[in-house]
Amino acid sequence: MIKDITLGQYFPGKSFVHKLDPRMKIILLTFFIVFIFAARNFVSLGIMAAAVFAVICISGVSPKMYFKSIKAIIFIVLFTACLNLFYGTGDPLWQWRFLKITQSGINTAIFIAVRIIALVLISAVLTYTTSPTDLTDGIERLLKPLSVFHIQVHEIAMMMTIALRFIPTLLEETDKIMSAQKARGADFESGNFITRLKALIPILVPLFVSAFRRAFDLAMAMESRCYHGGEGRTRMRVLKYSKKDYLALGASCLIFAGVIICSIYLPATVRTGM
Amino acid sequence: MKFIEVKNVVFAYDAAEEGEEPKTVLKDISFEIEKGSFVALLGHNGSGKSTLAKMFNGILEPESGDIVVNGLNTKEESTILDVRKSVGLVLQNPDNQLVASIVEEDVAFGPENLGIPPEQIRQRVDSALKSVDMYEFRAHAPHKLSGGQKQRVAIAGIIAMEPECIVLDEPTAMLDPQGRKEVMDTVIKLNREKKITIILITHYMDEAVQADRVIVLDDGRIIRDGAPKKVFSEVEFLKCHSLDVPQATELAYRLSSSGMKIEGTPLNETECISAVIKALS
Amino acid sequence: MSLLELKNLSFTYGVNTAFEKKAVNDVSLNIEKGEFIGIIGHTGSGKSTLIQMLNGLIRPTEGQVLLDGRDIWEKPKQIRKVRFRVGMVFQYPEYQLFEETVEKDIAYGPKNMGLDSDEIKKRVEDAARFTALKPELLKKSPFELSGGEKRRAAIAGVIAMDPEILILDEPTAGLDPKGRDVLLTQIAAYHKTKGNTVLLVSHSMEDISRIADKILVMDHGNKYAFDTVRNIFSKGEDIEKIGLQIPQITKIMIGLAKSGYKVSTDVYSVEQAVMEIMKLRKDSRVPAAAAKKEGKR
Repeated sequence: MIKDITLGQYFPGKSFVHKLDPRMKIILLTFFIVFIFAARNFVSLGIMAAAVFAVICISGVSPKMYFKSIKAIIFIVLFTACLNLFYGTGDPLWQWRFLKITQSGINTAIFIAVRIIALVLISAVLTYTTSPTDLTDGIERLLKPLSVFHIQVHEIAMMMTIALRFIPTLLEETDKIMSAQKARGADFESGNFITRLKALIPILVPLFVSAFRRAFDLAMAMESRCYHGGEGRTRMRVLKYSKKDYLALGASCLIFAGVIICSIYLPATVRTGM
Repeated sequence: MKFIEVKNVVFAYDAAEEGEEPKTVLKDISFEIEKGSFVALLGHNGSGKSTLAKMFNGILEPESGDIVVNGLNTKEESTILDVRKSVGLVLQNPDNQLVASIVEEDVAFGPENLGIPPEQIRQRVDSALKSVDMYEFRAHAPHKLSGGQKQRVAIAGIIAMEPECIVLDEPTAMLDPQGRKEVMDTVIKLNREKKITIILITHYMDEAVQADRVIVLDDGRIIRDGAPKKVFSEVEFLKCHSLDVPQATELAYRLSSSGMKIEGTPLNETECISAVIKALS
Repeated sequence: MSLLELKNLSFTYGVNTAFEKKAVNDVSLNIEKGEFIGIIGHTGSGKSTLIQMLNGLIRPTEGQVLLDGRDIWEKPKQIRKVRFRVGMVFQYPEYQLFEETVEKDIAYGPKNMGLDSDEIKKRVEDAARFTALKPELLKKSPFELSGGEKRRAAIAGVIAMDPEILILDEPTAGLDPKGRDVLLTQIAAYHKTKGNTVLLVSHSMEDISRIADKILVMDHGNKYAFDTVRNIFSKGEDIEKIGLQIPQITKIMIGLAKSGYKVSTDVYSVEQAVMEIMKLRKDSRVPAAAAKKEGKR
């Protein structure tokens, strides 16, 4: 049933990565992404890939889930790798009309594939080990300085919180409405595209009506509980950096330093960004 | 001591279609609510009771007349947060009033809005959850709880703001008997132990009989106001206004009209059994 | 042959996963044409799953549902036809309304059946009459109706399919006493006029006992009892033990019997109770010693 779909793909646990402050995790993820992109040769990329592998190992989430996340993008990886395979320069190792494969092409293809997979995996670590609530919280607090530029950080975070809260409820509702319309003979499985689209109306209209009704109630409930925007609002949970966070930060800095040194002293294998 | 004063309140909803008359739902209503009391507001759908519920904390404003809570007029913009802090509102649909996806974070929502320091919020949340018996569910997701549990979390969210009064707008209408009992037990406990003023809007008579005062609304007017024993003694009158009476009360009434001498107005089965036994011996 | 036959019906959620849970466990019973059956059980007793198996919205993991002696899953592609014969009104059915007018909404089911427009028109009018919807409401948007009217319009949408069996899940939930009385009266009248089989799920023993002939009590996925209303109420205290509420009037009669009065406890309406107690007045009181024995039995 629809309601069984898990959202955000969070796997509760007690690993070192789980226990890190969400803000630190978001910051480090950002830097990991930057350095994975910045790596210009196989050694630098190798360091980053090894680091990603290490993080996965200590994240305490089953490797199966990581394989799943790669499976979802395998087509994109193969497609980009193939494109790059034929775009190399230098002596062709193999040629058929205008298609030629060169050593540099092979290098680029492997390089790009590793890069995309590393990016996906490190992002998966964040969503797998951080609850959606923590994530929202972390983002809100990190972006707070932006409110100087009149960006409504609190409002955005509030919207995310409410979305997280109501998505399961609305999915359940969709399930109920579908059953009810099926009981009146609705057929969602046969017919051409247009017929199927039309068959969705009896689900979408009640769903929207219900979403609006809920929104109306929720607004009233929030107002009753003295909600008046982000101004003067405090939070129950205080996020505090612990020793673990500084340890993670230190280790990451070492890795990043290694990548920088390698990039300076070793020649670039790949010319392109991507 | 009076806590809420309702003075000559009139309210009308805008006409749904052009040419129609605006629908007046409250027609010149006045009453007072004592601090610490447990008042049940009865009336069938469309009697104006839900509209009135949303006026106690200024969500709706009277068209004419005033509502004064603890000396503060709900029309006054500058003190509206103080009114809402002292009068909490619990709605019918338990799903639509929870904001966060973790129970304790939801309970913290009110105190956070009031700008209370974090350590104090923690204390308030824990004690609020304990007082509705939901402490062990503090880390759960609301959508996985039963209706009665969700409704108790909603009540905890109000309690954490340390209000003096809670208005409940048909809090049990969507619940099963088990959930109804949980919510009613909680409400009664809060009234007895924490001396919180309770205004319960309901159409379940077995809930209304547990209050110490019953106000019956019909067509925007108060038609009865008094202790449950007094109000429910008028079985025919209530039936006329399409309201129920508890079966115990109806049985006693029917027996006395058939010539038995039943004393008083029994409101529950225990009272009814002893009244019947007394009449038989 | 019974109209509807449930044969060792079971349903397990999430087979072969960590969430495996048996919602309905080996339920067998027969339902005859024209019966009015009340189904009661607390939340999670499996009653919702059970009724959804009766019209093929959920496929049983074990056992069979026989309609006129034929397994409803004999031809899975024809399952829609079963849904037209076994109509189902869900809880809060007003949340499924979607058309521009009440009339069109009621016509949605009959249209899916492929009926011609004259027949649909007739069906809509009949259904509106059965649910006491005033003709002028038919042209209105369903979202303009009052709560009780919306509920009845949604029920009309199922009645318009003219099902042989009508299943209603908590049709009175959230209504005020007046709305509840109107609806129950309409359902009873529909049953009487049509002579159809009706299954009504409710938490309220009071409502069920008012209109049903037989009651099915579900407990933890099992059939706890399936019997006439009177026989079920004679076991009132057992029913209370599995966490169900019995009417206040039944509790009063049980209380009187316990105090030594010779009254029958299978009472579920105020009228019956008045008669029972008035009988006591006419009879002289039972001698105290005998009465005590009576109470303990």
